[in-house]
Amino acid sequence: MIILQLVVNGVLLGGTYILLAQGLNLIFGVMGIVNLAHGAIITLAGLFTFWFATKTHQSPLLLLPPVFIVMLVVGGVLQRLLLEPLARLGRRGELLNLMVTFGLSYVIIETGLNLFGSQYVSLPDLQTTWAVGGLAINEALVAAGVLGALISGGLHLWLHHTESGKALMATAQNPTGAVTCGIDVRRMRGIAFAIGSALAASAGVLLILVIPLSAPTADTLTILSFVIVALGGLGDYRGAVMAAIILGLVQSAVGYYLSGDAEVVVPYLLLIVFMVVRPQGLGRATR
Amino acid sequence: MNTPAPDAAAPAALKVEDVVAGFGELTILHGVSLEVAAGKVTVLLGANGAGKTTLFRAITGLLPPRAGRISLFGEPIAGRAPHLIARAGIGHVPSGRELFPRMPVGVHLDLGARLCPPELRATLRERVLKLFPEIAGRLNQLAGTLSGGEQQMVAIARALMTNPRVLLLDEPSAGLAPKVVMSVFQALSKLQNQGMSVLLAEQSLTFGLSVAHRAYIIREGQIVLSGTPAELMADRSMVQTYLGA
Amino acid sequence: MNLDARRLGRWIERRLGNPTSAAAPVPAPGRERIAIAVLAVLVLCAAVAPLFATAYVLQLATDVLTFAALAYSWNIISGCTGYLSFGQVSFFGIGAYATSVLVLRAGLPWYVGALLGSGLAGLAAALLGTVMLRLRGIMFALGMLGLARILMVVAGNWDYIGAASGLTLPAELTPIAVYLATWVAVLAAFGLNAFILHSGWGLSVTGVRDDEVAAAAIGVPTARIKVITFVMSALAPAAVGGIVAWNRSFLDPPSAFDPTLDLQVIVFALFGGIGTLWGPALGTVILVFVGEQFWAYLPDLQLALYGVLVIAVVLAFPGGIVGIANRLGWLRRRPVLAPAVFPVVARLPRPALQGGETIIEVRDLIVRFGGLIALNGVSLSIRRGEMVSIIGANGAGKTTLFNAITGFVKPSGGGVFYQGKSVSDIPAFQRARQGIARTFQIPRLMESMTVWENTLLAARYGKRADQAVDQAAWALQTVKLDGLWLEPSTKLTPGQQRRLEMARALALDPTVILLDEVMAGMTRNEQGEIRAVLRQLRGFGIAGVAGVEHVISAIADISDRMIVLDRGSKIAEGPPDAVLRDPLVIESYLGKVS
Repeated sequence: MIILQLVVNGVLLGGTYILLAQGLNLIFGVMGIVNLAHGAIITLAGLFTFWFATKTHQSPLLLLPPVFIVMLVVGGVLQRLLLEPLARLGRRGELLNLMVTFGLSYVIIETGLNLFGSQYVSLPDLQTTWAVGGLAINEALVAAGVLGALISGGLHLWLHHTESGKALMATAQNPTGAVTCGIDVRRMRGIAFAIGSALAASAGVLLILVIPLSAPTADTLTILSFVIVALGGLGDYRGAVMAAIILGLVQSAVGYYLSGDAEVVVPYLLLIVFMVVRPQGLGRATR
Repeated sequence: MNTPAPDAAAPAALKVEDVVAGFGELTILHGVSLEVAAGKVTVLLGANGAGKTTLFRAITGLLPPRAGRISLFGEPIAGRAPHLIARAGIGHVPSGRELFPRMPVGVHLDLGARLCPPELRATLRERVLKLFPEIAGRLNQLAGTLSGGEQQMVAIARALMTNPRVLLLDEPSAGLAPKVVMSVFQALSKLQNQGMSVLLAEQSLTFGLSVAHRAYIIREGQIVLSGTPAELMADRSMVQTYLGA
Repeated sequence: MNLDARRLGRWIERRLGNPTSAAAPVPAPGRERIAIAVLAVLVLCAAVAPLFATAYVLQLATDVLTFAALAYSWNIISGCTGYLSFGQVSFFGIGAYATSVLVLRAGLPWYVGALLGSGLAGLAAALLGTVMLRLRGIMFALGMLGLARILMVVAGNWDYIGAASGLTLPAELTPIAVYLATWVAVLAAFGLNAFILHSGWGLSVTGVRDDEVAAAAIGVPTARIKVITFVMSALAPAAVGGIVAWNRSFLDPPSAFDPTLDLQVIVFALFGGIGTLWGPALGTVILVFVGEQFWAYLPDLQLALYGVLVIAVVLAFPGGIVGIANRLGWLRRRPVLAPAVFPVVARLPRPALQGGETIIEVRDLIVRFGGLIALNGVSLSIRRGEMVSIIGANGAGKTTLFNAITGFVKPSGGGVFYQGKSVSDIPAFQRARQGIARTFQIPRLMESMTVWENTLLAARYGKRADQAVDQAAWALQTVKLDGLWLEPSTKLTPGQQRRLEMARALALDPTVILLDEVMAGMTRNEQGEIRAVLRQLRGFGIAGVAGVEHVISAIADISDRMIVLDRGSKIAEGPPDAVLRDPLVIESYLGKVS
């Protein structure tokens, strides 16, 4: 029974992680940059949601559409101003991209600190637990897991079955070839970053319901997202789903058999192990 | 021996005038001029490093020229964004093909078709697949798993699906077996018969001249010879020296 | 405001230039000695002054020095080696805890504790570096980011070192002791930077940063170098961590592994000039002093402003203050081991070698890239004393063949033998050191080095400094680039770049040289010069030369043998005349005469 419970928790947790990571995967897959501000965006959105929910006593889910749209716009602007100038540098620009997003992350973190303080916060709603046949299923985890699956599915459908999505994938796989098809590669990059950031912000809105967030620990989320993306094979969406679920399962088990604190170390250790054993990740790597 | 381009009455499909281009402090093209006659195959011959690919990048917008003019059926296009030049009607088959390795052949054709008016897409696709029957049976195969020859055909097919007014081919025979090269060039002849204007860059003298209506020889970023194949073949030794082969 | 990203990008590109490529002409030794003496006096004054000032000034000076030590250390791995680290604070924390524990529990004097803490951090860096530096820069950057967070969690749970409540340390150190100890750490970190930026060994580090593949091809043990510099970058932060912990008399996980410390250090080094000798110092001094004035007014915006500064520097002036100074002609880096004037060397040609012995043999070599077969069972050999040309259409497998011989591509079948022994287990840099030199189809030069340094790097292995200098000078003379010896390599024309690649190959003092399309893009004159060099190679003691070529006319008459590849297989071999008349060759490569 315990094992089943752990598995259920693990899978649901994995679903939550998918939420975290897919935005980064999109950005990395198309633009080849690891957005070090990813965790900061998630956290700021989550903190804002906490403030909104406690101030207005409305459902935090109301925030999803506006946050997504606002972040779409903001993400597009940020990409144009900060990252597009470096895009023409190709591989050489990779490390400069890291620097720029590193700086950006601190701007966002400081904003979060000033507006919402440095403490951990979380929303107690949706923390109810259903009892299903002897298993305790956390409502928030289910919500996050389901939404995570929906978003991943939607992303996959969009990328593989719509014209715009295929244009984006083409840009990711070969920008030179994409240009010959009349694809505006620059706009694709902007779209990828905008959507990736919007996904991250949406993840933040949902995550605050599941786990506590705080401004100073924003980059642990960046690391977590990156671990999932890297384990899944950078840019591979299905691989990331696999990696997220595996990570959820392992953390669930470790958290139960060892300790809550040991749980935190798991993603990092997994990353190190994979770096040694199979650097290209679980999926078929894009790069 | 630089005979002037014939048929000055009809506008050239593609006209390159005194184009200067390079990267950073390096200048690779030092004032290149050539004309692609409408409905004909024009060949650009030159050794590795002579500037063929750089000229193509200048025409397709990947490397905006520092000086000079480029016009497509009279419409100036130099300096425009590359995707806009593609939309204006320049079909580009880059050297190295630049396919999407994890996408099926059929999707390549679909992506090219974005630039084709919707009402023409079905017939164009039919025509392209008739031109390259070898890939018609592989529409679901991932491009990265195709052989070199098949990849080259997909690259040309993709460019043709954009319904271009001028087709640019950068060394299509590179690395291909003679038999495959033959079928590629047969397809090119058919295209020419259908009235497509083509600019072909080639390293090999004989392959290039076998399809050309007119040829230019480029060396160290400058056009050094031009003429019809007959004129150039008549002075083969000089041509060989210029090509270095 | 119409922001055209493309125009902005071009504007940035013009400004983007590695500051360390702006190397100065070698200054006269006398002037240099005066400059160093003046500098030493100034530094001494700056060092001594705070001792006589108020406690506040002393503390401020100590803070500046602490950050400078950290900035210099970050500079070693991120600036000089090119691997951005966002977690150097890990070593700071390791040092802090190690020192504290050693002093508290083992009763060691604090400076011994600090040294041992340094050693421990170095060991950790060696272990981690071996794992993380094998991969791309991004993986390393994130690995380091994660490390700092993980260490904070581990420290928070480890009771032996105080867990979350931390350790209280008795007040043992006087402010003056702390100040002087921090000076030692800064000087050590500065010394390491100076060593990297001015020594022959350090040239290898710059080579790794600029182009790891080319560096391996000229004999640089890239993996080893990266780990060594990573270890170097861990030492000073650990020592400083120990000192700071004692200065504060308190240590807990958040203060030991404070992530904002990383941010500040990165901003300081970046602002001053990443990868330069004076950048970290300038950046730290300027920004700490500016900060002191500012933070009183804007205490809640510190992180954000630092973040904005990072972005601004990267986008507007990536070379930092030193980069700007370089453009004005100041603070330029002195080329490594460059004598005052070009050392003209008369090289005695070695006795001409007898033919017969096989230098390189390739047996049934198969190379596959996924589904593509690049080489399909190719066998050939290069014998002592001969020059072999390898021709074939694009994609025939010529460069893959060279990559397999030199160790940059792993064969899927068959073997490569050098002087009779299989080289399949020997890494690329080792093959270069054993005497297999190569050039690249598209020149891969070290962009932040001068022509001289590019060549010197290849000449270094196994020789004393003066021998290396002679070898490099000879190589440059042979390809006639001695007139441009102090030019940044980025300023060369394509033909000159090719010749520099050849000079690098010659500088290795090789037994065999593999030239990949060395004639392409060269003017007729340059081709003639290369041909003259090729003819002399036997006299230089080089046993064999193989060249991949398209410009057949340039090499047909100087080759002893010609091999033709077509779609991964050898289709002809023999004297050039015979091969060029072979109908099979004509059909596949030259094309049928219509």
